[in-house]
Amino acid sequence: MGLKKLIRQPAYLFLMLLFPAVLTLMFGLAFGDPEFGMDINNLVPGLISYACIFIIMTIAQSFSAERQEGLLRRMNTTPMTASEFMGSHIITNMVIAILQVVEISILALLIGFRPDSGWEGVILALPVAALFSLSSVGLGLITATISKTPEAATGVSFVFILPQMFFGTFIPLTNTTRQIAAFIPSYYMVDALTLIFRGDWTNPSILFDVGVISIVSVIIVTIGILLFRKYGNI
Amino acid sequence: MNSYIKIKNTEATLGGKVKDLDATANGFSIVIRDLVKKYEDVTAVDGVDLEIRQGELFSLLGPNGAGKTTTINILSGIVEPTKGTAVVGGYDVRKGLNLVKTIIGVCPQEAAVFQFLNARENIELFGNLHAIPKTVLKERTDRLLDTLDLREASRRKAKTYSGGMLRKLNLIIALIGDPQIAFLDEPTVGMDPRARRATWEFIRSLKNENRTIILTTHYIEEAEALSDRVGIIDYGKLIELGTPKHLMAKHETKNLEEVFLKITGRRILEGI
Repeated sequence: MGLKKLIRQPAYLFLMLLFPAVLTLMFGLAFGDPEFGMDINNLVPGLISYACIFIIMTIAQSFSAERQEGLLRRMNTTPMTASEFMGSHIITNMVIAILQVVEISILALLIGFRPDSGWEGVILALPVAALFSLSSVGLGLITATISKTPEAATGVSFVFILPQMFFGTFIPLTNTTRQIAAFIPSYYMVDALTLIFRGDWTNPSILFDVGVISIVSVIIVTIGILLFRKYGNI
Repeated sequence: MNSYIKIKNTEATLGGKVKDLDATANGFSIVIRDLVKKYEDVTAVDGVDLEIRQGELFSLLGPNGAGKTTTINILSGIVEPTKGTAVVGGYDVRKGLNLVKTIIGVCPQEAAVFQFLNARENIELFGNLHAIPKTVLKERTDRLLDTLDLREASRRKAKTYSGGMLRKLNLIIALIGDPQIAFLDEPTVGMDPRARRATWEFIRSLKNENRTIILTTHYIEEAEALSDRVGIIDYGKLIELGTPKHLMAKHETKNLEEVFLKITGRRILEGI
């Protein structure tokens, strides 16, 4: 039902499913040509990460809208516990992240995506994306805590989206920006997916990247839940 | 007389949760003792003492900002009291809130529904939060949609509803958990007279099922028509309590609205 209430809203549906599709086709067709020095195989990890990053915005908007409309308050009067409530949102967004990986991979396949790993790589990317989505849920909750309205949440969410775009996802990193990127979760996500799609599964960097994503995501989502419960729930 | 029986605040544990055995034994659904809620320098609820019997339809009246909604918010666990105790269905709201939530239904002042879902989906969503089995949920949903004449429109998204229809859906969601105690905060605002009368009948039927109803309303005639007892609250204090007849006799008025104006008139004249 959590997924249904998001899918029924055109804005969220766009962000969750249409936006990654449009992004994949546009970037794939525009830049996924070796003539540009890129190919679609190198773009897919960034596209998947980018789609997952936008969960920040859907979480922030939906929580602030539900708060504004008195829905959070109303749900607080039901027997559902706070952990069940947060748990359902986390699971819903993990499912969304997994759907996004499948969607992007299929569309990318149509325009030439051929990972060295084969489909096993895509399957391995699913749990990594689900883990990474945790950090986006956490940042979304922090955004909703700070923002009074859904409109404000949209703007504030870019505080967390832009650094992940510029220092981890799409823009090639220099020595300086790589040092900044070391503190950005999406950097590890893109690195992990790149190695996974290359089929370089014995590379210890994958374990390191997944470890960082796991630890950082758990920390961020815990902070997000605590802040939202204390300051953002009413 | 503002209390039936003076009870002790004796607490005992039952299944690991706090239950006020005296309150339950005396047939009270709600017992409030010296309840206070302060927001910085504003005292929204100021030392309220009140008991409400099981199966009673009790109306809480008062001007805007008098403390009605805050009192209901405390009883339904949305807001924590600053001081005092509130026992709902035998459970202390501070210590046994999870159990309180299993026996209450709250119809908030604003129509808090998911606008992009239809009525059935909204009801189903809240039914799931009450962990109602699927077959029971469907049967209960159909019955409530029929009773409140919303079945035909039940597949339409809530955002297409009129104000009155949203109010009905708001009320159905409050009752989907089959609550022993229902808090109805301005349930008929925005309804046309016909829908309002039908809702009155529905609220009466809830009382006939031995549910306790706590109603807040600005329609004084609604309180007069429905209530067993009425409490008038102003500046956070419970300043009058009794049956509508008792209050009208006491204040020598023809209807409850005159009682209300007489008691709260100072505030209204001050334009607060």
